[in-house]
Amino acid sequence: MMAKIHDPIIVVEDLVVRYGDRTVLDGISFEVRQGDVFVILGGSGSGKTTLLRNLVGLMRPASGRILIRGEDFTAMSEDERIELRKKMGMSFQGSALLQSLSLADNVALPLREHTALEESTIDIMTRIKLELVGLGGFEEYLPSALSGGMKKRAGIARAMAMDPEFMFYDEPSAGLDPIVAAGIDQLIRKLQETFRLTSIVVTHEMESVKLIADTVCMLKGGCVVGIGTLEELEQSEHPYVQQFFARRPDDDQSEESAYARALTGLE
Amino acid sequence: MTNFSLAGHVGRWTLNQLAIGARVSVLMVDTFVWMVLAPLRGKGLRFKAAIEDFVEFGVRSLPIVGMICFLIGVIIALQSSYTLAKWGANRFIATLVAVSALREMAPLMTAILITGRSGSAITAEIGTMKVGEEIDALDVMGLNPIKYLVVPKFMAMVLAVPCVTVMAMFIMIFGGFVASVYIVGVDPFIYIDMTRQSLVEKDLLTGMVKSIFFGIAICWVGVYRGLQVEGGAEGVGRQTTSSVVTAIFLIIIIDLIFTVLFYFV
Repeated sequence: MMAKIHDPIIVVEDLVVRYGDRTVLDGISFEVRQGDVFVILGGSGSGKTTLLRNLVGLMRPASGRILIRGEDFTAMSEDERIELRKKMGMSFQGSALLQSLSLADNVALPLREHTALEESTIDIMTRIKLELVGLGGFEEYLPSALSGGMKKRAGIARAMAMDPEFMFYDEPSAGLDPIVAAGIDQLIRKLQETFRLTSIVVTHEMESVKLIADTVCMLKGGCVVGIGTLEELEQSEHPYVQQFFARRPDDDQSEESAYARALTGLE
Repeated sequence: MTNFSLAGHVGRWTLNQLAIGARVSVLMVDTFVWMVLAPLRGKGLRFKAAIEDFVEFGVRSLPIVGMICFLIGVIIALQSSYTLAKWGANRFIATLVAVSALREMAPLMTAILITGRSGSAITAEIGTMKVGEEIDALDVMGLNPIKYLVVPKFMAMVLAVPCVTVMAMFIMIFGGFVASVYIVGVDPFIYIDMTRQSLVEKDLLTGMVKSIFFGIAICWVGVYRGLQVEGGAEGVGRQTTSSVVTAIFLIIIIDLIFTVLFYFV
């Protein structure tokens, strides 16, 4: 089922993540090719955001390895992680712009902290990044003055500030209207094509998956239930994959709610 | 059965406190590393942010601290006159005001006011940033949140509280002066003379040492509570309240420890 893989740049091996004694991700393995848009697809509570947080190092797994360009991200020293993170950009679900800073300062922040560039150079680079996401002229706006879609674009501009090699998107189209969401999808594709960015997108929106995905990895209950191109997944025999693609409701809620209970620890 | 559940309760409470202790220790060690060791390895400090925070915590709190401390000075003077007047010893109001301002009231009032003003603000700011994933965003950008957020606030707070305290001490003494001279009717020259006699270095030092530790407590409680925020605006509110209560509680404990310590020294 798995597509033939050339030069994988991110390799996840048997990743297990636990909250306390609850297992949230159970033996996840996959590979991401350089320059691909790799979509992690799954319903609510499938563990997809947890997986993304592990990939960017915001959480540490209980066991398993995450190899980024052959180096084990989970076993790195703090300094090595910081170096690697300069090559990573992440767009958060709620954009996560620093509310106290203007858009320009938000985008300039990693440049100011990590590089010794002149302020005038940083200024130009900030402008370029904001132009790139279609927010030229909004440099001096505070995040609170922007709409949801614009914030998301600004978040992407900030993630692009250090010219990353990897981009991670957490629910890029969540909470946006279809037109704005389509614009974000287009932007993800454009950035991937222009900069050969390896992009990892967490989503549950089938419409975006159709537009952007090279490879789709489907999660359910903390396990991979299908991986491959969209066409391959559509042919999948797995009942959950078929159900998800057909947008059919659950016949029996018990299994889902059991997993949700396991996650939240509620009885 | 009751005994058993009581033991269980105490045990859980103790474990919980130990866990909090462990998390606070990690925070302390991290702050120390990023404030002292990392700059030695050429990683820099954010002095500009620290100065901005100093202005916010210190300079901007001066009007309210000044006013409260002036009034406290007036109150101490009038309250002590209540007893001293019976002995015809109103001139000792000056001594009482000076000693209590330096050793106790000015550091305490300053710390409590700055807790309410800035300790809560630190919790709310960091808590809101946590809810909005801004802390995570800093982390992913390779900017350590401790270095970026906590260290500047910590430096500012540890400096601001003693600075404001010194001001508060003299404003409190001035308050006592005004009340004694204009209400009680003490001769101003006697008051000034008595104050000068009772101002000793040791008292000033006592107050300063306390206030440095008050600053440490306010900042760490504020930051810790902020980082503990879970689940949206409600969480921010809960932790902010808790931050103020915990900080004031700690301030009183620290005050007690140092008072006992200085009592014997």
